[in-house]
Amino acid sequence: MAQPVVQTIHRDPALFWWILLPITVVMILTGILRHYAMTLLQTTPKKQPLPILRQQRSLLRGISLRQNASVLSPSSFQSRKAYLVDAYKEGKFLADPEARGKPRPNPMSDPAAMEGMMGMMKGNMAMMVPQTLIMGWINAFFSGFVIMKLPFPLTPQFKSMLQSGVGTRDLDVRWVSSLSWYFLTLFGLQPVYNFILGSNNAANQVAQQMGQMNPGAGFMGPEQDPDKLFLNEAENLEVLQHWSVLDGVEERLVAKMAS
Amino acid sequence: MPPHPPNLLTPPQTITPQTALLLSQKAPRILSSPPSGSSLPWPLSLLFSPENPSTWTIHENLLLSSLRTGDDASARKALDRLTTRFGADNERIVALRGIYEEAQAKTDKELEALFHRYEKLLRDDPTNFAVRKRRIAVLKSLGRTSDAITALTVLLENSPTDVEAWAEASELYASQGALSQAIFCMEEVLVLVPNAWSAHAQLGTLHYLQATSSSPPNISSLSTSLRYFSRALELNDSYLRGFYGLKLVSKSLIPLLSDSPTNTASSSSKRKDNKDKDRDAADDEDLPPPSLATVKKLEELATSRLGEIIRNYSSGRKGWTGYDEAEVIAARELLDRDGQVER
Repeated sequence: MAQPVVQTIHRDPALFWWILLPITVVMILTGILRHYAMTLLQTTPKKQPLPILRQQRSLLRGISLRQNASVLSPSSFQSRKAYLVDAYKEGKFLADPEARGKPRPNPMSDPAAMEGMMGMMKGNMAMMVPQTLIMGWINAFFSGFVIMKLPFPLTPQFKSMLQSGVGTRDLDVRWVSSLSWYFLTLFGLQPVYNFILGSNNAANQVAQQMGQMNPGAGFMGPEQDPDKLFLNEAENLEVLQHWSVLDGVEERLVAKMAS
Repeated sequence: MPPHPPNLLTPPQTITPQTALLLSQKAPRILSSPPSGSSLPWPLSLLFSPENPSTWTIHENLLLSSLRTGDDASARKALDRLTTRFGADNERIVALRGIYEEAQAKTDKELEALFHRYEKLLRDDPTNFAVRKRRIAVLKSLGRTSDAITALTVLLENSPTDVEAWAEASELYASQGALSQAIFCMEEVLVLVPNAWSAHAQLGTLHYLQATSSSPPNISSLSTSLRYFSRALELNDSYLRGFYGLKLVSKSLIPLLSDSPTNTASSSSKRKDNKDKDRDAADDEDLPPPSLATVKKLEELATSRLGEIIRNYSSGRKGWTGYDEAEVIAARELLDRDGQVER
């Protein structure tokens, strides 16, 4: 069978110096700039007021009691359980006992939540603005250039990824257009930033977006009613079947040491 | 025992005085080089000097070690560096400066001045738990233990998942002789760190103290103590303190168990039979005392293991030298008192 004809395009060597290199350098510098811009824009996370901390940690105490109940002797477990279940049911640890049983306020009207959203907006802006600018710049100056050839063959599916901005149907997939090179650097520079800025950087927007998908997705987000969590935990504690690790430990130890 | 020698990244709580001295002697070398490694000119330093988080851990531990060994000048330098990096208002820096100033305070009056400063800081920001702890520490060094306990209970009321605070509360209560409160606090520690063998051994100690404070010693407290020591040894089978406690407790438990007719060797098998039946009824009953035979076996075991540890420690065999010398001496004393020297 005849080999497929190898396409040869004679590229001006200046393409490398004036397009490939500038795009790469600009992308790296933008990442670094974004890292420092994010560091400057970052507001320190607002401190939780004491009642909220108390509420969270009291709930955590119940959870750890439930998980590690077995270290306690039966009587000490029962007394703790009785205390915590009562306190949870009465809502003793609630940060805002008056709000008990009322529906949660709309997060939009809550100033604290608004502040969080402002932070998110700022982060988004710091990513959007340079991205738009650079893309505009590349489109205006370099669109339509084929700037490099990959050293390995690829299937035609990669055509849309590697040759955006070059509308040639028969061009081999191995040729990469300038706009595609921009996208590749946009998504693939994370290791370079890790090398330059340390692994804890804010340079890459993709990672940033991932993080912002669910900012408050953690334990006890604002949308959850703490009272419900407490009642839930009280129930969990009540139904817990307690066993003590101390039960028969001396015989286990004798058996372990004898062997 | 830690597998590698401690360095400046080891948590400061576990460092012995000798190591602290060794570590603080590293101060001149660390303090002579700039904190962030490279010393490139400005624009390049932005690009090529990733900040190393361990740098600041090293500085913090160096500060603590220097204070322990009285090298105040190095401590001051380390503190100044940390302050330039993180700002004087940083929660942690405020606490570290507090530690430094407490170490410098010569008289009670200066400590009290510090105490008032902490009070003021806490009025501004009641969630600063590091400063809260410093305040308690000052109360403790002023000798106002009951005030320290009150302050600790307030802290624990607000942050009941703080292991360090629970352990401190337990120690303070024990120093005041309030053993049942001390036991309660230690149990909270255990709930939060369920596999800490030292906490188990400490609970065993507290139960033992409680049992021996009455005469004749309380059997159920003693057997609880025995169980906690056994659990500590189950978690770490080369724990000297655990064997020491086990030996001590079982020795005082044996005569009691052989005296009382109800707690003969059959009790453990009886317990097994009734276990399922009684489970619901006796859910909040404490466990019955262990059988005499088991306690005797445990006593023998503890004696032989203690002897082994002492022998290997004094001959300096590899892998056995990590024990604390004072503890080994105490263990030898215990065996000598018993008249069962096997060396």
